[in-house]
Amino acid sequence: MIETYELAVIGAGPAGMEAAISASENGVKTVIVDNYPQVGGQYFMQLPKTFQADKNTQTEFKGKKLESQLNSLPVTKIQNTLTWAVFKEDNDQNWLVGLYGKDTPKYIRAQNLILANGAYDTPIAFPGWTLPGVITCGAALILLKSQRIKPGTRALVTGTGPLILSVNAHLIAAGVEVVSVCESNQILPKGFRYAPTMLKHWPRIKEGANYLRTIFRGKTPYKMGWSIKEAIGQDHVEKAVITKVDKSGKPISGTQKTFEVDLVVTGYSLTPNTGLARMIGCALDYQPQKGGWIPVRDHNMESSLPGVFIVGDGAAIGGAENAQLEGKIAGTAVAVKTGHLNANIAENFIQQVKPNLRSQQQFGILYGDLFTPQSGLISLATDQTILCRCEEVTFGEIKQAVLMGARTIGEVKMITRTGMGNCQGRMCEHSVNNAVVEALSSELVTHQSIGHYSVRPPLHPIPESYLAEAHIEVD
Amino acid sequence: MKRIDKTSSLIPQVERGTLIKIFVDGIEIEAYKGETVATALLSAGITTFRLSHKHKKPRGLYCGMGICYECLVTINGIHAQRACITPVEEGMQIETCKELEL
Repeated sequence: MIETYELAVIGAGPAGMEAAISASENGVKTVIVDNYPQVGGQYFMQLPKTFQADKNTQTEFKGKKLESQLNSLPVTKIQNTLTWAVFKEDNDQNWLVGLYGKDTPKYIRAQNLILANGAYDTPIAFPGWTLPGVITCGAALILLKSQRIKPGTRALVTGTGPLILSVNAHLIAAGVEVVSVCESNQILPKGFRYAPTMLKHWPRIKEGANYLRTIFRGKTPYKMGWSIKEAIGQDHVEKAVITKVDKSGKPISGTQKTFEVDLVVTGYSLTPNTGLARMIGCALDYQPQKGGWIPVRDHNMESSLPGVFIVGDGAAIGGAENAQLEGKIAGTAVAVKTGHLNANIAENFIQQVKPNLRSQQQFGILYGDLFTPQSGLISLATDQTILCRCEEVTFGEIKQAVLMGARTIGEVKMITRTGMGNCQGRMCEHSVNNAVVEALSSELVTHQSIGHYSVRPPLHPIPESYLAEAHIEVD
Repeated sequence: MKRIDKTSSLIPQVERGTLIKIFVDGIEIEAYKGETVATALLSAGITTFRLSHKHKKPRGLYCGMGICYECLVTINGIHAQRACITPVEEGMQIETCKELEL
């Protein structure tokens, strides 16, 4: 028997938790599915259950509050479980959601979907980026804040956005030496024009000031308009070369400096995780300042497909608070759709949260304007640099495919196998898209015309034997 | 690659889970309940988790959140498990850089 719900929320970060809470509070029969052992996502990251802390950080405290709110409601929680596919059922009424986890149902049915799949560090390719010891900001923060280990002893932090400052502060707090923090964008003096917007975001100013204090104490040089150029090492990173970059992100020759390090942390802003939305055919739009290819949504967070809502950083980069508001809005909209809530009451609620949402959106605009990874950063890669980590496809091979006539990312994929490996293109799409634009700089191509990878089930690698069993259950 | 012993306002004091034993390529190492396989390996100084298919180049932890599939290891005989999101268990047998038998 496959259980049917009025709403399935995929992802239990700030956006997904709020969506499930709002819907369930209004009486919607709700299930929430998450890939991790504990709810909270990356933002409300928790300690492992077996770890005991004397004190909680403020963020942990907020996350715990949200979790107990979720636990107090009749929401079915399915954790430690991958969502490998979503299918539209023949009767056109329900979505069939394919799950893969220990002791979890193989399928659930849902009348409505809220996708809250979060975001990941936008991967930027440079020589040596596949070496062990080169990790993302996300990985560094999990190791430091939740797992409580030092990912190295001497680190270079490189990327764009506030996350690299957070990583720097946490590394130093853990006793890791940081040789330099490289911010690829030249954020000053441009950033000053956003002073009025920033003044409306006190908690963010406080957090940012804390991180900057670590920098100002003179412990780490913070270099704007700089990026890593190369990671060097045999079986592990041993050295990092940094370079000045121009406005477009292209390295400026003659500016390179070399450091001995055993850790490189990279975080060039974030990319929304849109795999499921792509799989079922939600319309996407290319907006680099919001994270790249993002789903088109209306004011209720509903995608181009009726009954499919997409919220939080998994839809467009906007931060945790924005994600929570979007989750509430979508959860409320589903309550109206399923007949549990009067449309006028819902509209009142929307009007109430609107000022806060607008303020968050303004912050999103600031963030996108200052911290979008420049497309010229593709020039950090040489012809020998691997862009697709899974299938080991180089920049040179992508250029070759373009010479053979490929004009879309789909054609490049067919010729080179880029994007066809285990990660399903999540790690290379940004680079390959920019590589094709770069290779065709003399022609009239745009990121839009090159397009994005299409996604088909399974979204994640799962055993064939499992698929075979799961299929029988549907029949 | 050591466990954090320093505490601060950003990283408050923590009591780890019970100490357990796991085996990495036949060698016994210690880990704390609640840690991931990746944490246990990194704490033991092991940073190469697998070799790439085509060029047999070393790969290890990258995204840390289960989406890049770079940290794949063999756990209790089952290949291609993500070290970054699999919690350690007493007596777990982990194999790194294992060639897939097809």
